[in-house]
Amino acid sequence: MSAHAATAPKTRTAEPRPPAGFPFGFYRYRNYVVFAATSVFMALGCVGLIEALYALAHGEEAWKAFLANMARPHNLVLSVVVLLFTLYFVFRFAWVGRKIAAGRIGPVPRPPLPMPILGVAPIGGFVTFWLILLAILAGVLP
Amino acid sequence: MELRKVKFEVLRFRPEQDTDPVFETYEVECMEDWVVLDALNAIKDDVDPTLSHRWSCRMGVCGSCGMLVNGRPVLTCAAFVRNYEGTIRVEPLSNFPIVRDLVVELDGFIEKIKSVKPWIIRKIEKDLSEGEYRQSPEQLEEFKQFSMCINCALCYAACPVLANEPEFVGPAAIALAHRYNLDSRDEGNAERFEVLDSHDGVYACSFANECSQVCPKHVDPAMAIQQAKLTDFLEWARIMPKRSFT
Repeated sequence: MSAHAATAPKTRTAEPRPPAGFPFGFYRYRNYVVFAATSVFMALGCVGLIEALYALAHGEEAWKAFLANMARPHNLVLSVVVLLFTLYFVFRFAWVGRKIAAGRIGPVPRPPLPMPILGVAPIGGFVTFWLILLAILAGVLP
Repeated sequence: MELRKVKFEVLRFRPEQDTDPVFETYEVECMEDWVVLDALNAIKDDVDPTLSHRWSCRMGVCGSCGMLVNGRPVLTCAAFVRNYEGTIRVEPLSNFPIVRDLVVELDGFIEKIKSVKPWIIRKIEKDLSEGEYRQSPEQLEEFKQFSMCINCALCYAACPVLANEPEFVGPAAIALAHRYNLDSRDEGNAERFEVLDSHDGVYACSFANECSQVCPKHVDPAMAIQQAKLTDFLEWARIMPKRSFT
């Protein structure tokens, strides 16, 4: 039995109330919900990436067909939406993600790197990767 | 000293007569330096002695007087009335069953805290004659921030994950577990791992960060949880091979 269940109240109590403003009434919860929703759009982006790799593996014809498909208006709109959600994820993660850096890993202390480098390097790399990939998929880069 | 008449909407729940909690309004003459807790005490002393609320130290140390003030979890002993405009709404902490008025059921919270074994665990205890376990200032600094928790439960009231998954171990308990896991004198990682790695453990946190926003002691439980995810993963990687072959 879990700790929660084991300590069921002994007298009649009123039901717990959800946090005020959750999920959309308070801006910080709203930001969090949008942050959580980015996973759906990033999953769509991953599907697109797998499709791209699949097309690449099946020759020039398949790649050209993939590019033609991606150039259709609704796919372009979807790509922009995916990009916006991805960017939102990146920026929010850059804001809160610095907390992930552990004080030490086992016996190894955290290297004395300044926080901007720890935060900017992976996030910058991530953004650059996506921009290059999108440029390739959009046909801007060969 | 100047007095200001302030209207308070206080959530009341009297289990013997109320089916659901209801708001009651009180007008209180507040002094310039009053905090919300002073106003609640004034209501109880002079207007309605049946009002129930918890408090003790009045100086932000005991963690007893946490409530929602205008929807935000705060210590009412540190929430100055002068900082609020218009009617002030006072409610019990969210995500907890309400026992009476502003008093919430904390047994589940205490059990969760206990479940992570927030004490120093040694594989072999030293004899008292061998002296204390020494620690350098640098070693202390590694976990000191996480040891500042006063168990006020504001982080639980702010957590959106707990609103959906009441069995989530929660921010304060995980921060406390992480505090002991980082302590150079402690050897209890493996014992806490069972709780932190469970379904309701660290991975239930989806990093809303709201716990850190409301923490009155700047413990930053969200940081503790994210770091605990990493240490939990490393502990898992360390013990999984042994489990697989036994």
